[in-house]
Amino acid sequence: MLTLLQQTGIRTLSVLDRIGRGTIFLLNILQGIPGLLPRFGLVIQQLYATGVLSLVIILVAGLFVGMVLGLQGYYTLVTYGAAESLGIFVALTLVRELGPVVAALLFAGRAGSALTAEIGLMKATEQLSAMEMMAVDPIRRVIAPRFLAGILAMPLLAAMFSAVGILGGYFVGVGLLGVDEGTFWSQLVAKVDFYDDIVNGVIKSLVFGVAVTWIAVFEGYDTVPTSEGVSLSTTKTVVHGSLAVLGLDFVLTALMFGDD
Amino acid sequence: MGVINNISKNNNKDHKMQQEPIVKIRGLRYARGDHAIFNDIDIDIERGKITAIMGPSGTGKTTLLRLIGGQLKPQAGSILVDGENISRLRHKELYQLRKRISLLFQNGALFTDINVYDNVAFPLREHTRLPESLIRSLVLMKLESVGLRGAIELMPSELSGGMARRVALARAIALDPMMVLYDEPFTGQDPITMGVLVALLRTLNENLRLTSILVSHDVQECLAIADYVYLISGGKVIEHGTPEAINSSQSEWVNQFLQGEEDGPVSFHYRAPDFSQQLLS
Repeated sequence: MLTLLQQTGIRTLSVLDRIGRGTIFLLNILQGIPGLLPRFGLVIQQLYATGVLSLVIILVAGLFVGMVLGLQGYYTLVTYGAAESLGIFVALTLVRELGPVVAALLFAGRAGSALTAEIGLMKATEQLSAMEMMAVDPIRRVIAPRFLAGILAMPLLAAMFSAVGILGGYFVGVGLLGVDEGTFWSQLVAKVDFYDDIVNGVIKSLVFGVAVTWIAVFEGYDTVPTSEGVSLSTTKTVVHGSLAVLGLDFVLTALMFGDD
Repeated sequence: MGVINNISKNNNKDHKMQQEPIVKIRGLRYARGDHAIFNDIDIDIERGKITAIMGPSGTGKTTLLRLIGGQLKPQAGSILVDGENISRLRHKELYQLRKRISLLFQNGALFTDINVYDNVAFPLREHTRLPESLIRSLVLMKLESVGLRGAIELMPSELSGGMARRVALARAIALDPMMVLYDEPFTGQDPITMGVLVALLRTLNENLRLTSILVSHDVQECLAIADYVYLISGGKVIEHGTPEAINSSQSEWVNQFLQGEEDGPVSFHYRAPDFSQQLLS
């Protein structure tokens, strides 16, 4: 019993310690962000690595999710004689929920894991130590550009996911199942609200971008500098990042759409 | 008149500083958990000299370099680098001091995503506002001094171990530091590369008027180029002196280390409980 209590205490302290270090780490990154403005090229490089290189998985996943939504939505709506609402169904599902959430989950798996592995290996091969010894702060030079790029990339990727998803739904609904094209688009344009739906979706993906990228860069920077350590940190990024996205999605949805 | 007095005072202060060791370690204690790595050691590193710090593997030689570079903080004692207590410096002051120190890591620690040219140019681009044409000339000069001007376009993954260390050395001297710390520069090198590195260290130290601290357990190479040697083991300085004095030492420990004997004051076995009891338990 005493051992169990001790273990619980040790684990709690360890979690609190990591949260504390993670928060200090985040504050250090935020301090470094203004210094990136005159060297925005560093952020552009990372936007390419985290954003552009994630495009294939985001676009393909968005297309198929949209197609499945079109198919499932049509079969459900048609039983109620509401097949003409397919456009609004696909668009709202993607813009409010699936776009930000699935794009963030894919981002955690594709870009988050790559960030952690890259930073972890830089630590394991003493590149971060070498930078420190050259009087260059690795948090400002390596971490801050990656963090900012992750935050900027996430809403753009989510928007592309939703756009391609709507096209997928259109292809299945209008192209294959015969829903009227004019009704599909007019319902979609009339019912999707810019502030309530699109802006809230963008806010969600921004919050997910901060959470996933923060977890990814911290796990990399805090890794045990061995091959096992880097492997464990990369796994943690995907697991913790995905759980954080799902948990935050519930909170944000409750806050944003609770009064609807 | 007051201005002249001030200049004179400053000159005297500078002259006094030049007489002082560049690194002055006093009463250094550093432990990891219960294991004391350094227990009350004193070390002086003279300016313009090559000082070798030798000892068996795991005695904390690399840790000592990290303490001198301010990457670790001692639990007790002081480390003065060019007159400044490195463990008490603020972040900004520490980084200012580090611009005058370079550390050559055991594996080179080159940035793997950029080529040789950009690796050597990295500290120049970070700390100076020199035009790219001048940076290029400086990079070419540094690479020429380590014999790798022809490798300018190569990526770190295309370099051999010895070449990577020479590129790292070119990067280390890019900002013309006052002191270079070498962490096991000869480990794992073939005899020719080792010879090249030994000659390079000596030449660079003389030509650039550097101070070099060389951490290694390669006895012959260290004794060949060092001006002064410290032997450390078990958290203590066991012996120190010129290479000649070390070679003629009567200490059993020193002789075991220099001759590479299997057993002696340094036991072959890591500390362990009684073998027979452990087998029967």
